[in-house]
Amino acid sequence: MAELTFAPGVREQLAAIARVRWQLFVNSLRTLRGRLELVSHIFITLGFAAGGIGGLVASSAGAYYVISSGKAEWLAVILWPIFLFWQLFPVVATAFTENFDTSNLLRFPLSYSSFALIRIIYGSLEPATMLSSLWLLGVAVGVGIASPDLFPWAVLALFLFAAVNILLARMIFSWVERWLAQRRTREILGVLFLFFIISFQLIGPLMSRYGRSAHPDLRQFAERILPVQRFLPPGTAASAVASAADGDFAIAAGTLGILGIYCAAIFWFLHLRLRAQFHGENLSEAPALAESSRERGIVRVGWSLPGIPGSVAAIFEKEIRYLSRSGPMLFTLIMPVFILFIFRLTPSTSHRKSGSFLGGSSDMAFPIGAAYALLILTNMVYNNFGPEGAGVQIYFTAPVPIRSVMLAKNLAHSTILALEMVLVWIGASLIYKPPALATTLATISGILFALPVNLTVGNLLSISSPKKIDYGTFGRQRASNTTVFASFGVQIVVVGLAAITLMAARSFDRIWLATAVFLVFAAVAWVVYAVVLKGIDHMAFGHREELIAELTRAS
Amino acid sequence: MNSAAIATQGLTRRFGALTAVEDVDLRVAPGQFFGFLGPNGAGKSTTIKMLTGLLAPTAGRIEILGLDLAANSIEVKRQIGVVPEGMALFGRLTGAEYLNFVGRMYGLDRETAAKRAAELLDFMQLADQPKKLVTDYSHGMQKKLALAAAVIHGPKILFLDEPFEGVDAIASGTLKAMLQSMISRGATIFLTSHVLEIVERLCSHLAIIHRGRLVAQGSLEELRAGVEAQAAAALPSDGGQSAAVAAPGEKLTLEQIFLRTVGGARPADQELSWLS
Repeated sequence: MAELTFAPGVREQLAAIARVRWQLFVNSLRTLRGRLELVSHIFITLGFAAGGIGGLVASSAGAYYVISSGKAEWLAVILWPIFLFWQLFPVVATAFTENFDTSNLLRFPLSYSSFALIRIIYGSLEPATMLSSLWLLGVAVGVGIASPDLFPWAVLALFLFAAVNILLARMIFSWVERWLAQRRTREILGVLFLFFIISFQLIGPLMSRYGRSAHPDLRQFAERILPVQRFLPPGTAASAVASAADGDFAIAAGTLGILGIYCAAIFWFLHLRLRAQFHGENLSEAPALAESSRERGIVRVGWSLPGIPGSVAAIFEKEIRYLSRSGPMLFTLIMPVFILFIFRLTPSTSHRKSGSFLGGSSDMAFPIGAAYALLILTNMVYNNFGPEGAGVQIYFTAPVPIRSVMLAKNLAHSTILALEMVLVWIGASLIYKPPALATTLATISGILFALPVNLTVGNLLSISSPKKIDYGTFGRQRASNTTVFASFGVQIVVVGLAAITLMAARSFDRIWLATAVFLVFAAVAWVVYAVVLKGIDHMAFGHREELIAELTRAS
Repeated sequence: MNSAAIATQGLTRRFGALTAVEDVDLRVAPGQFFGFLGPNGAGKSTTIKMLTGLLAPTAGRIEILGLDLAANSIEVKRQIGVVPEGMALFGRLTGAEYLNFVGRMYGLDRETAAKRAAELLDFMQLADQPKKLVTDYSHGMQKKLALAAAVIHGPKILFLDEPFEGVDAIASGTLKAMLQSMISRGATIFLTSHVLEIVERLCSHLAIIHRGRLVAQGSLEELRAGVEAQAAAALPSDGGQSAAVAAPGEKLTLEQIFLRTVGGARPADQELSWLS
C-alpha cells in the first residue's frame, strides 16, 4: 500500500495550496460577478450553518433519548441518515461540475503520501463533511450527557465512523471522477442522475397515496434487513456503543475493529485510484476507430424550410441538432408531461374530495402543463448564445444580420414549444381526460401571448447578459444572476396575468373570453417582438465584445 | 485608400485607459500573403478583430476591397473568411454538419454547401470519422476544420489569427498547402503568427506592431534593408543588441529583423546566477 512517511516539506506544500486557494478567492472579488458570488456564498453558508446547528441539536437530543431509554442500538436510526447524507450529497452537488484536475499537482515534487493526503484533506473540505461532523458531535454530546461512562466509547466509535465516511466519500468521488472524465460516460451518468432526481419527485405522492395503509410485506422486509444493517458502518458504530452500554467491552472493542477494517478496505480502494492518478493516468477521450469507408466522404445536404432563407434554416437545423445531442436537455423537456403524472399520483388536498390533485379541475391539466413547458423553455430562450462558446464569433463574421440569427433561434425554440404543447395535450388526455376545445384554444392563445413576451425579453438578455453553458452537463448551468431575476419577474407578470384571466373566465363559465383577451395581448406582444427584433443588430454590435469575451473564455 | 485589399487609416482601439492599437495605417495589396507580427500584447489580435468586424474601432477607418467596413459590413463579410482566436467552432456538431452550416451562413445553396464540405473534409484529411463531434477532435483537427470553414465560400481575403499554434507538422503541412493554393489563385491572406520561420517562408509582405503602433511595414527585403541600415548607424552604441544582427555575408533572418525592430534582445549582463 502507500508509503506513509511524509516527504520533507509536505507541511509547506499543504500551506502553499491553502494560500493559493485563498489568493484565488481574494482575486475573484475583483469582479462584480465574483462579489455577487460571495454574497450568494454567504447566504448558502448561513443556510448550511442553520442546518448544521439544527442538526446538532436534534442529533444530540435524539442520542440523549435513545441512550437514556436504554436503547443504544437505536443510535443507528440517527447514524443512517447522517451516513446517507455524507455519501450522497457530494455526488449530487459536485459530480456534474468541473472537477479538481490532479495533473496540476503532479508537476510538483510531491511524494505519493503527500499527494494522497492533499487529495483527502482538500477533497473533504466540503459542506457534507462539515455538517455531518457537526451532527456526529451532537450525537457524542447527547451520549455523554445521558451516560458519561459511555462517552469515550461513543467518541471512539464516532471517530472511526467519521473516518469511514470521509474515506468512502473520497473513494466514491474519485471513481465517479474517473467515469466523468469522458464525455460519453459523463452524459450517461448525467441522465442517470436526472432519473435519480425525478424519482425523488415521486416519493411525496407515493408516500401520500400508499403511506397511510398498513403493509405487512413491507414490515417483514424491514425485519429481515434489520440484522444486516448491523454489519454496515452506521449499524456497526451503533452496535459498538450498545455493547459498551451493556458492559460487553470485548464485543464493543471487536465491533470497533470491524469499523477499522472498513476504514482499511475503503482506503485500499481509494488508494487504487489515487495511485493511478499519481502515476499520471490519461483519461482523455480514446480515439474512435475509423468509420467504414461507406460513410466516408458522404455529406448530407442541410435542411430546407419552406419560405425561410438558407442561413436561417441552417441556424434552425444547428439549434435542433445541438438540442437533440443533449441528453440532459432532452430529459428536461419531458418534464411537463411528467409533472402531470406526478399531479395524478398526488392525492387531493381537499378533505371533501377524493382522488388526485387536479382531480376536480382536470381541465386545468393542459394549461398547467403548457405553462410549465414554457417555463422550462425559458432556460434556453433567456440565454440564446450560452451554448455556442467560441462559435458565437461566426455570427459576427458571417454576412448574416443578428436579427436573422435571433429569428432562427426563436423559430427553433417555438417549434420545440409547439411540440411540447402537443405532448402535454396528449399526456393530459391520457392521464386525465381530453381538454375541452375552449380550454385548448384558451391555452394556445395564452401561449401565443406569453411566447413573444419571453422571446423578446430573452433576446435582449441573451445579448446583454450572456453566460457560457454546456448542454451536455448539469453542473453550473444556471444563467447569469441578472437573467435569473429578470426571468423571474417576467414569469410572475405573464403567468400571473394568464392565470388570473383564465380563472376569471372559468369562474364566469366563459372560457372563450380568456381566449379573446389572450389574442389581444398576443397581437400587442408580437408587434413589440417585431420592433425589438428589428433593432437587435444595433444592440448586438454594441455588446459584441462582452458577448464574445464571456462565451470564449475558458470554463 | 483605393486598390488595396485591406487598408486602414488612423485605426485606434482603446480599452478604458489602455490604448491597445494606436493610429495604425495598414495597406495590403490584392494577392499578397501578408504577415502581421508583434510581441505578446502588441495589438495583433485586437487589430485582426477590428478588421473582421469582431471589435469596433474607437477611431479610424477600415476599407476591405474598397468598401468601408462600418458602412458595408454585410457585403464585406461575404468576401472574407476568418479563423479567429478560439476558432469559432460548434463542439456538438460533426465536422460535416459544421461546414454545411457555415457554407449556408455565407449564402451557399444546400447542395453546393454539402459538396464543398465533403471536398474540404477530404482535403483536410478529416473525412475518416464523419460521426465524430467537433468537441472530440484533436487541436490540430479543429484548426484544420476552422480553416476549412473559413474558405468554404471561396473568400477573396482570408484572415488567420495564429493558425499554426499547437498544430503538428502534418496538419501544418496541410494548412500551408491550402494557403499557398489560395494565393496562387489570387486571394489575399492576412496572417498573425508567432512562428516566425513559417511566416518567413510563406509571407511576401509583413507589418510589425509594437505597443499598439505600427513600427514597420513592407516586403521582407524592404524590412531587412531598413534594419540593416539602422544597425549600421547604431552599431557603436547598440547596447548589446548586436546579437540580433546577422554575421557578415549572411542575410538577416525574420527573427533577427523582428528582434531588432521591437528591441526584444536581452542584454548580456542579465542572468539568473542560481540556475544550474
